[in-house]
Amino acid sequence: MRGREDGVEAFLPLKPAWFHILLALADGPRHGYAIRVEVEARTEGRVRLWPATLYGSIRDLAEAGLIEEGEADPVDDARRRIYRLTGAGARVLAAEAARMQALVDAARATRALEGA
Amino acid sequence: MSSGVGRGGGDRRVVRGAVAVYGAFVRLFPAGFRAAYGAAMVSDFRRLAGDARGVAGVVGVALRCCLEAAWHAPVERLRARRTAARVGRSATAPSGAGGGPGRRGRRGVAGAAVAGLRELRFAVRSLARRPGFALVVVATLALGIGANVAIFAVVNAVLIRPLPYPESERIVTIRHHAPGLSLPELENSDGTIRLYREFARTVEDVALVRGSSRNLVGGERPARVRVLEVSPQFFDVVRTEPRLGRRFLDEDVAPGAPAVAILTHAGWQRHFGGDRRVLGRTVELDGVRAEIVGVMPPGFHYRDPNEMVLVPRDIGPNPQFGAFGTVSIARLAPGVTLDDARREVAALQPRLTELFPEMTPQFFEQARWSVDVMRLRDIVVGDVEAALWIVLGTVAFVLLIACANVANLFLVRAEGRKREVAIRAALGASGSRLAASVLAESVLLGVAGGVVGTALAAAGVRMLVASGAARLPRLHEVGLDGTTLLFAAAVSVLAGLAFGALPLPGLLGAGSGAALREGRAGTGTRARHRTRKLLIAGQVALALVLLTGSGLMLRSFQRLRSVDPGFRAERVLTLGISLGPVADEAAAAATYRRIVDGVAALPGVRAAGATAALPLLVGGAKGSSFSIESRPQADDALPLFTMYGAVTSGHFEAVGIPLLAGRRVERRDDEVAAPVAWVNQEFARRYLDGDAVGERIRLYADDPWLEIVGVVGDVRGFGLDAEVRPMVYLPVTTTVRGTGRELMVLTVRTAGDPLALLPAVRRVVERVAPDAPLTTARTLEQVVSESLKERSFTVVVLGLAAGVALVLGAVGLYGVIGYITSRRTREIGLRIALGARPGQVRAMVLRQGLAVIAVGLGGGLAAALALTPLLRSLLFGISPGDPLTFAAAAAVLAAVGLLATYLPARKASAVEPLEALRVD
Repeated sequence: MRGREDGVEAFLPLKPAWFHILLALADGPRHGYAIRVEVEARTEGRVRLWPATLYGSIRDLAEAGLIEEGEADPVDDARRRIYRLTGAGARVLAAEAARMQALVDAARATRALEGA
Repeated sequence: MSSGVGRGGGDRRVVRGAVAVYGAFVRLFPAGFRAAYGAAMVSDFRRLAGDARGVAGVVGVALRCCLEAAWHAPVERLRARRTAARVGRSATAPSGAGGGPGRRGRRGVAGAAVAGLRELRFAVRSLARRPGFALVVVATLALGIGANVAIFAVVNAVLIRPLPYPESERIVTIRHHAPGLSLPELENSDGTIRLYREFARTVEDVALVRGSSRNLVGGERPARVRVLEVSPQFFDVVRTEPRLGRRFLDEDVAPGAPAVAILTHAGWQRHFGGDRRVLGRTVELDGVRAEIVGVMPPGFHYRDPNEMVLVPRDIGPNPQFGAFGTVSIARLAPGVTLDDARREVAALQPRLTELFPEMTPQFFEQARWSVDVMRLRDIVVGDVEAALWIVLGTVAFVLLIACANVANLFLVRAEGRKREVAIRAALGASGSRLAASVLAESVLLGVAGGVVGTALAAAGVRMLVASGAARLPRLHEVGLDGTTLLFAAAVSVLAGLAFGALPLPGLLGAGSGAALREGRAGTGTRARHRTRKLLIAGQVALALVLLTGSGLMLRSFQRLRSVDPGFRAERVLTLGISLGPVADEAAAAATYRRIVDGVAALPGVRAAGATAALPLLVGGAKGSSFSIESRPQADDALPLFTMYGAVTSGHFEAVGIPLLAGRRVERRDDEVAAPVAWVNQEFARRYLDGDAVGERIRLYADDPWLEIVGVVGDVRGFGLDAEVRPMVYLPVTTTVRGTGRELMVLTVRTAGDPLALLPAVRRVVERVAPDAPLTTARTLEQVVSESLKERSFTVVVLGLAAGVALVLGAVGLYGVIGYITSRRTREIGLRIALGARPGQVRAMVLRQGLAVIAVGLGGGLAAALALTPLLRSLLFGISPGDPLTFAAAAAVLAAVGLLATYLPARKASAVEPLEALRVD
């Protein structure tokens, strides 16, 4: 386990919506609707971020300093704000992924024990 | 449109409309949030809506997004307020609406509200993932809650809500009893009312009130209407004044005063079209001209919303002791309790002998004279009170069973959620937080069940009122009012908490890390199976109580229906003909004779007659004292009492009352007044040692002696469960007063369907007496079943409740045994692999179910034995502990239970060992 520095631990476990948004931004900056499309594609439609949830979470993530607003995408509609991961956001995302990995490992171990 | 998605113009218009609607929802968010994200939300929504397929798709997306916005906006508002309040203290702590442990420090109402909302949202999401589960739970609860709400609506309107007068709980009625006279309820006479008006200090405004019917002419068309005869004090007692015009004054009841009348609001609307110029108009009531001087306010009525007219009536100037039957109501004086009034009124009784010296103290002693002051509400409600509370208790049992079923579903589901809970606990969710999330879900389901159930109840109540079922008092007041809705809400939340709390201990136990490892068949399984089995045993017990109660009611009902009423009800038509007050009795007799003759001549008529005392029709026969010529009574002896009424020839034949001795009522008795009478068997037995023919009796002192010329069979004239009373039948031509000739019922025995003859019968009546109002035509069988309506209401509700209980119990048993068995699939497979025969496996599973059933039956028998005595007042001809009913109920339940166990047992015995071993 790592990531005890700069309060990363305080954010774990991440709310699913947060996790998916951070993950969507891991590939690069996106605007809100693009985050939605990316999450929906990545989860094969199982997770759909409706506008109020999406922007509520974006606001929370920005307040928590995990994402920040970037310059507008020149090819896109100029009104749209672009969001991107901060350093803290990247660390939290990594910590969450590691935590989940640990859980999955624990669950596997449990099943192996049980099968005996 | 900038969305640029190529769609039909219609779709685009829909999208535009949807965007506008969504914009309105976005406005629900606080200004700060809107400024930052409002435009993006609307623009995203436009794309979502534009991408949706068809109008339905757009509407779906719009619904989804609007609901979501409505869901989030309040949370954002609370948050915005909190942030504003916190400004200046610490603005740096990372405090997302969800997320890390930092948020748990928050306290206060706003925090709790946010937390509650969050749990609710979580619950909605988690239920939406399992719509089947939610559907089953909501349906089960809707049944249980709906039944409770419907019955509560009835109980509330009939029993709980006060009568519709100011301070109605202080309105009392005074009743006299004289069981020694074999007349149970005496009410009042002019004499007793005078006594209380002169001497009673604990009751004020002693008013008399009597319901009757009159022929009303002068309204939109002639009609037979319900009339209230009241004294001027009545308006003080009910504290209700006419809305138009004036109330009755003392002058209105003075001898020789011009006749006046007041219309009820219903009477005003129905017979005078709500005409405001109705005051001062003259109408005829039973031929007496009366001026309309007032109209009562809407909603006012005394016992019956069909009361149309009030007329003044009071005790005469020289009140006599006798002639009881007048209801008197009064108000308790300020500061006086009901018991005070009882004491004073009882203490006043000896004064009756002072006021009426002809009444000796011995008379009162022999008559076993007593007096009681009762609340008017208790009289109005009457004897349905016990039945209604029992019915409410019954449906409460059904709800308990439904909750037990749901609790079991929750227990099963809790198994599935163990890992989720364990993970949440491991990640730091506190016990109370986990409990809150489980309870949020169960309360949500409870409320959903409550909403559906209340809708069901609303429909049920409307049907109940429309059917006039049960002839319940105040039935017209029944509806879903605020109190009922509050009850529905409370029951729903309580039910939700009840079944939600049950799986909590097991779930929270899972909060320990051990549960993560626990897998499927863990250590706590046995204990949880025990909880489940106990729940099922409880259900079986409750179901047995209901089955027993319903069985007892059903058997009472059967016994009642098999009581020989003394007449043959099949294929008899009855139709009331109201001639009004009979001035010329010979003419009235002739009218009835011509009607009967005309009807008897119709093809398809076997016999026809008319009677003023139709069996089971309340208010037909009248009562009187009488004397027997050959057995003079001592002066101070109790007078003899009998009921009496007029009949024409053909009546006994039409309804099938047998002639036991003497001669029949013959045609000449309808034509010429002769001093003759027929008596029933009970009369002959009680007063004349069975040998009545040839004896002479006299009803009133100034009437001629009447020779008894025949004895007819007893009829249960006052209810199938009431005792037979002595009865005198007089020919329609009799000179005796008050034989009820103003309203006689035509009785027609037919060869075929009685109602098919109705048009022909009506034509005959209209030819002979064109102005006579007719009452509703019914077959005698209908008359009989209506006399049982109140009872059949209880029977039907109890039967339905027992049926639902049986089904829910069986489903619960099936579910639990099936579930437990499925958890043992591996073990069963192993047994089969090791050589167990299918029969042995079946027996093993069956044994498990049987044990549960046996425990339930045992508990249920004990509970039923304890509870069925409550039914005693509703039972007829059967004891509350009737062993046959108990045995039958237990047998039915055991059989259904066995079936519910057999299905999983059969499935278990068909387990493929290899398959089973692969299951983990």
